[in-house]
Amino acid sequence: MEAVKTVSDMIYIGAGLAVGLAAMGAGIGLGIATKGFMEGASRQPELIENLQKKFILGAALAEACGIYGLLIALILSFK
Amino acid sequence: MHGHWAGYIGNLHVHFDTLIAMWCAMLFVIIMSLILTRKLDIIPNKMQTVAESIMKFFIENVNDIPQGEKHIPLIGSLFLFILFANLMGQLPLKLIHLKEGEIASPTNDINMTAAMAVIVLFYYLYQGFKKKGIHAIWHGFSVSGIIMFLVELLEMITRPLSLAVRLFANILAGEILVMVMVSMFAIALPIPFMLFEIFVAFLQAFVFMMLSIAYISAAVTEE
Repeated sequence: MEAVKTVSDMIYIGAGLAVGLAAMGAGIGLGIATKGFMEGASRQPELIENLQKKFILGAALAEACGIYGLLIALILSFK
Repeated sequence: MHGHWAGYIGNLHVHFDTLIAMWCAMLFVIIMSLILTRKLDIIPNKMQTVAESIMKFFIENVNDIPQGEKHIPLIGSLFLFILFANLMGQLPLKLIHLKEGEIASPTNDINMTAAMAVIVLFYYLYQGFKKKGIHAIWHGFSVSGIIMFLVELLEMITRPLSLAVRLFANILAGEILVMVMVSMFAIALPIPFMLFEIFVAFLQAFVFMMLSIAYISAAVTEE
């Protein structure tokens, strides 16, 4: 495999880093959200309906941060 | 990468594929509402039952806002339009291929989602000014008041930006994911991803709606 030589090769490293770091943050956030949901649901199972809606909303928000990284990676690599 | 069928109307740079797909989604929502609300009666027929359950879903969700039901026209049409716009892109073959790009979800174009986010921005600003006057964004001549004012100004940019980019990026990433899966696997294996994208279509429409409700609620609630 050839060594990285030019700036345009470095772009792919940047794209990979962008997606990886963003996914790391989103994964941590999703984990915390799920933990909170499970704790709340096991303590008060009668609230599950209400909690579930907010959990899905929060999970989507956390996931969106990962998607931002993916967007930057796509912009970089398809430029 | 997705290309767009770009062109000019006068001096305006226009993406025709987005326009066509948007009109299709709009027509679908309008025709569906017209069909579902025909022959309204005290004893509902099947179609009226569907319409009433959709309406009940909205009414449950705008409960956070005081007198929330008057915001349902905007919230509900945003939700239904985004939902059908997202689902259009998940038709397995995207149906019509053009020379540049394809007629897929209109929400994979950031101009489309940015327009909707700006509508939500102006709507909640208008509601806030109507309710509280200048105090919607101005909190008085103290240090904390001025800092709050600057934060409000910043939020006018970040809120529509995050609304627009979230929807756009999720849909675009989903389409690219399905595209990669289709090119990687021979048969049947991309189907779970397509089903997941249908779930994402519902989820993103719901998230857009809930965030709009949260912004409007924050604008019209007295502290």
